[in-house]
Parts: sequence; C-alpha cells; structure tokens
Amino acid sequence: MNAMDFEYAIKKDIRNNPIVREVDEARQRQLWRSIGIGLFLVLVLLFSAWQHFELLRHGYQIERLQQERAAEEEINRHLRLEAETLRAPRRIEKIATEQLHLVAPARGQAIVIERVTPAAPPEKSIVAAR
Amino acid sequence: MNHRQTDWRATVRSRLLVCAALLAGWTAAIEARLVYLQVFQHAELTSRADRQQNRTVVPPAKRGEIFDRRGRLLAYSVDADTIAAIPTEIDDPADVAAQVCAALDGCNNERRQAIARNLSKKAPFAYVARQVSPEEAKRIKALALPGITLLKESRRYYPNSELAAHVVGYVGLDNVGLGGIESAYDSQIRGSAGKVLIQTDNKKRAVFSRVERAATAGAGIELTIDQYLQFVAERELRAGVEANHALGGTAIIMDPHSGEILALANWPTFNPNVFTRADDDARRNRAIQTLYEPGSTFKIVTASAALEQKVVTPSTMVDTNPGSITFPGRKPIFDTHHYGVIDFTDVIVKSSNVGAIKVGLKVGPERLTQYVTRFGFGQALAPDFKGETAGIVWSPDRLDDSALASVSMGYQVGVTPLQMITAVSSIANGGHLLQPRVVRAFIKDGRRIDVPHKEMRRTIEADTAAIVTTIMEQVVERGTARAAQMEGFTIAGKTGTAAKLINGHYQKSDYNASFVGFIPSRKPALSILVVIDSPHGNGYTGGAVSAPVFKRIAEASLMYLGVGPNLNPPPAVLVTRHDANAPTAQPARAASVLSATLEPARNGLMPDFRGLSAREALRMLSRIGMTARMSGSGFVVDQDPLPGSTLVRGDACRLTLARRAPVSATGGQP
Repeated sequence: MNAMDFEYAIKKDIRNNPIVREVDEARQRQLWRSIGIGLFLVLVLLFSAWQHFELLRHGYQIERLQQERAAEEEINRHLRLEAETLRAPRRIEKIATEQLHLVAPARGQAIVIERVTPAAPPEKSIVAAR
Repeated sequence: MNHRQTDWRATVRSRLLVCAALLAGWTAAIEARLVYLQVFQHAELTSRADRQQNRTVVPPAKRGEIFDRRGRLLAYSVDADTIAAIPTEIDDPADVAAQVCAALDGCNNERRQAIARNLSKKAPFAYVARQVSPEEAKRIKALALPGITLLKESRRYYPNSELAAHVVGYVGLDNVGLGGIESAYDSQIRGSAGKVLIQTDNKKRAVFSRVERAATAGAGIELTIDQYLQFVAERELRAGVEANHALGGTAIIMDPHSGEILALANWPTFNPNVFTRADDDARRNRAIQTLYEPGSTFKIVTASAALEQKVVTPSTMVDTNPGSITFPGRKPIFDTHHYGVIDFTDVIVKSSNVGAIKVGLKVGPERLTQYVTRFGFGQALAPDFKGETAGIVWSPDRLDDSALASVSMGYQVGVTPLQMITAVSSIANGGHLLQPRVVRAFIKDGRRIDVPHKEMRRTIEADTAAIVTTIMEQVVERGTARAAQMEGFTIAGKTGTAAKLINGHYQKSDYNASFVGFIPSRKPALSILVVIDSPHGNGYTGGAVSAPVFKRIAEASLMYLGVGPNLNPPPAVLVTRHDANAPTAQPARAASVLSATLEPARNGLMPDFRGLSAREALRMLSRIGMTARMSGSGFVVDQDPLPGSTLVRGDACRLTLARRAPVSATGGQP
C-alpha cells in the first residue's frame, strides 16, 4: 500500500458548504482604517499639491494684476499730464487768437457783476484733492 | 539535485548581497552628497538660490506735485524709459551702438561713438540713454538687442513749459531739485524710495512679491502763484521787453494783504523740461537774485520816513532851485526839469531829485537807514527761495551827505525787485511788512497744511501810509506815470529810472526803468512791479517803458479777478439763469438754491452746488454724507460728480471754485 492508497482510504466526504467563514471584524476594521488613512494621506497630499499650485497660480495672477494696475496708473498719469499740457494758457490763447480769431474783451465789454472776496483756504481737516 | 539547488540559492544570495551593497553604497553616496550640499555648502547655495530666485526692486518715490493756487498742475512726475546695457553680454559693441543710435532721435556720429565706447568697457552695467521718449523706447524694445534693457525712471515734467519756470525750478536726471521750489523744498518733495522683494521662477517671471518698505510719495506743494496771472505777467513783460529792445525784465504781482506772490515773471526765461539748453542768464531768477539801484521808486521810502518823522508834510514847500545840487568830490545832481519851489507832494509827483535829496538830508542818516531797514531792504525776505540776495544798504555811520543824497533818490542802494514790491505792499496795506510767500500749503498724506501769513514788522503808521498813497495816486494822475492810468480805477504808483552802474561808471545809455504801484489804490487788490533792464526803444524812463506794461498787466488781472472799477462804478446788474422753467429770478439766492438742491439729494442724486459759496457747499456735502475736495477760491463753478448723477455716500466731491460771479445768482455792484 502506497501513500496514495492510504490517503484515499482515510478521505471522507466532508460537506462544508453550510459552513460560513466568520468575518474577522478586527481585521476588517484595521483594513478600513488603513484604507481610510491611506485615502486621507493621499487627499492631504493632493490638497497640499493643489494648494501649492493654486498659490503659484494666484501668485502669477496677483503679479500680473499688479503690473497691469501699475501700467494703468502710469497711463492715467500720462493722460493727466497730456490734459494739463493741452490746458496751458499760452496754447489756448494761441488757438483762440490765431485759429478762431477771437479777441480779448475790452474793458467796456466786460461787466464785473460782483467783486468776490477771496475765500479762506480750506480747513486742515478737509482732504485735499490731488 | 540538492547540491544544484544549494548552488542556485547561493548565487542569488550573493548577487542580492552585491545589489544590496551597491544600493547601500549608492544611498550612502547620495546621503553624503546631500549632507555635503545641505550642511557644508548650505550658506553658499542658499545665497546663490536667493540671487537666482529673489530680486530686490527699489521702486522710486514719485516727487510731490506742484500746483498753482487753483489746483492747476505746474510740475508732475511720470515714468520714463531709460536704456541701459549689460556690456559683458554684448559681443559686438560697435554694431549694437549703431543700431541703438539709429533708434534714438538726434543721435549723431559723436554720440554713437560715445555709446560704443560705453558698451566696450565690459562693466556689469552702463547707461546708454536716460529718460528717453516713449517712441524711442518702443523702437529700442523692438530691436530686442542682447545686453540692452529698458528701465523705468521717474521723470519730471512741466506741462506749461516756461510758465513760472523761475518759481517752480527744475530737476536733474537723478530726481534732485536744482532750482526754484524744486530745490528749496527738495527734501519734502522728493519722498523716499521703497523696497520690494520679488520671488521669480526659472523664467525670471515674478511669482510672489513682498513689500518690505512702501515707496512714500513726496509732499505736494500748492503755490500762491495763479497760473493765469502768471501767464499775463509773462506775456506782457515779454512784449514790453521786446518792444523796448531791452536786455530783460521782471514783473511781480503780489496780494498786498497777505504777501502772497500771485505772479513772478522774468525775461529771458527758459523751459525747465530742457533746462540744460538754457544759459545761466535765462535761468537766473532776476526777481530775487539781481540787485538794481531802484532810482526814484525808492523815494517812496524817503517820503515815508520824512512824513512819519514829521520832517515834512505833503504841503511843505521845498526849494529845488537851481535844478541841481552839488556835493564835494562828485558831479552835480540834476533834475530833469527846473521845478523851482514846489510842495513836497510835487517833489514826489514830479520825481525831483533835488527835492528828495533836500528832504533826505533833513531826515538824516540814522532815521533814513532805520526806515530802509524797516521796509525790508538789506535782508533776505522770502524763505521759499534759495539764493535770494540780501541787497546792499549802507550803515548810517558811513552815510555822509553825498551818500545820503544818493540813497534819498534811490542810488547807492542795491535792492531786489521782490524787496521793492514787498516794501510798496506794506504801504498798500496800511504799514504792515508781510513776508513775501510763494508756498501756500503743503499736501501730505491727503492733508493740507497751510503756511501761515507772517507779518515781519510795522513799517509806518496807517495814517502815514494813507498820505503816501495819496501822493502816489497823484504820480499816476498828473505826474510821471500817466501812462499807467486806467479808466475807472485809482492807481497809486511811482516810476523809477536809474542809470546802470557798469564797471564803476554810471551809463548814459543803459537804465533800469521801473514802475511799482497798487490798484485800486483805496482798496488794493494787487501790487504790481515792473522793472525793464536797459530799454533801447522809444524811451528809457519808467513812465514811458514800465508804466504801460503795468497797465496791461493790471487790466487783464483785474478783469480776471472780477475787480470792478472804483471810480464811477456802473449801476448794479441783476443776472439770473436762462431757464424756461424759472420765469422769475429768486431774490433770496441761497435759500432758493438750497431748496432746489436738497430735494435731489433725497432722491439719491447729486445736488447742484454751482453758484454756492464754499461754505454753503461744504455744509450741504456734510449733510448728504460726502466729503469735499476743493480747488481755487470763491464760488463753486464746477463739480465732479455732476449734478443729477448717482450719489455715493462717503465718496468725495471735487469742487472747483473761482472768483467769477455765479451765473445762477442775483448779484449787484457792491
């Protein structure tokens, strides 16, 4: 009798279908905890990366907007300068007399309606508009 | 079989060991390298990273703006492009210089060579052209030359060019004031530069920036100058100088009640935008830096001293015979005409040298010198100007009769035009010597800080000032200054014609012709001085040369300021707004305007402030929860936001005030 015969001899038909494997709740909790921790770490990592890239993106955006604002302000300053240059009395008088052929009113043609006494300068508390 | 299996396992084990050893060695090498880089090389690598990733930018401070008394810009700063080079990055300096030169306006061969020399120096940094025009910068940028870069620099501009150039001054390339107010108040106007740390990426793009220290703009300065009056003074002075073929001249308009200089014009003048093209004579502020012998205008001082000290009265008779007076060791002094015995009023009206000398001798050296000093001669008066000349005044112990005679008629004293108009303004205001000022207020951090008026001293009593004024009125009515007469106005003034002293000799063909006066004489609004240097036209006297210039300046100024005639004034004029919805003019102006404007305010719309006084407008603005930003003085003539626009509480409303009579008001001649 060889070994095979012996095994065959002791083999019994054991029906273990009705046997249900017991759930190891401790291991399952551990599994879920591990998965949760893993997911959390991944999320933290992703969040951190997202934050970093958002920071970079906003950094670029802020710098761009600041440059745009500075450029707009400078354009505004240039335009103000141009407006003041166009308002120069010499230029206006030249246009009035040479192009439009206007003349200064004679004293008899201008009636002084009221002599306005100079107003006191604004109080210190009044914010000066400049 | 078992032996084979053992061999195989031994082989794997040995190979694994080798791999593990290699891995361990590799790891150890990396760790060692990391330790070396992060520990031993830490400082150097950190600083290198900082250099690569961080930039420090120093944003320049904008210079404060300079305004006239009505808020109109006289000096302003904007960014300009400067072309700079990194010569170490340039391989062919000659070629780059040629390309840069072609893009610049007016670049000649000499300048091209200078640029090439600059680029050949192999220095880390070099300027190529500073503060170029936007067009030039655009052309340079389009070339995209290696080693050539554009930087931003703040550049000062003067939108009115020559207007008030001597008062405002000018600024050098390095933003340092070199003349006028720009120089006198440079520390206040300049501000302080900031510091910004910028973190850059590998493409040198800014990622983050941190303001270490914000740039602080300099203080703004509001001048007492009125842009239009300045323009009038410059226009008429230039016309006077050119018509009389003179070397130059000065005209000053002053408010005699405050000492504020409303206009200060010199000819020749210069454009502060390109001040390097002007010569020293053009840049010289004659009003404060040029001494001249005032001649007969100084007789006002002699007269004031004599009248105040009761040496004479206006009716005291003075013998001017025989039309000349002689002192030992000098040539006789003549009158232009033989006047005989005349009263003291006529001595001044006819500008008799002999009469003035005789009165001056009676006053004596001590008392005359005392009044000369009281009137502000021999001392710098205006703190707003750098380089003001104090003038030349004799001490009384050195005044012998001959010198006293000269001083009595305005010779052998050196005065500046500013001192002269300040002295005459003190007569106009009843005897108060006010410090002449050109700075009205500083504007710092949105707050306005007024510069107060300062009375230096009393020169003469009010009664004496009134008598001197009466005498000066007659100078214009029937004396040497009839060319200054203006219909409807009484003018007090005095002419002066002084031979110029050149190389110790008085010239017979070069004179300083001057006229100084105030108008209307009984309620002065303006003091005006005109000095013309060496006229060679139809005349050379103050009456013929300077008085007409005074008249033209006064006419335009009074019309602009709305000062009506004081002789036979026209009847009152009622004016109302041309408005179909308003059939009749309302007699109570303030009440009607207030009732009309408060209603729209309740509807959330801007009221109409035009025509209101500053006080009324301010009161209304505070009621509707707004703040005011005002420029000018008088009544509101313009506003921003406009009436009817949406009202934003807490916002600021810009009000422009002017002395023009309000069109919506009923007004009358006072």
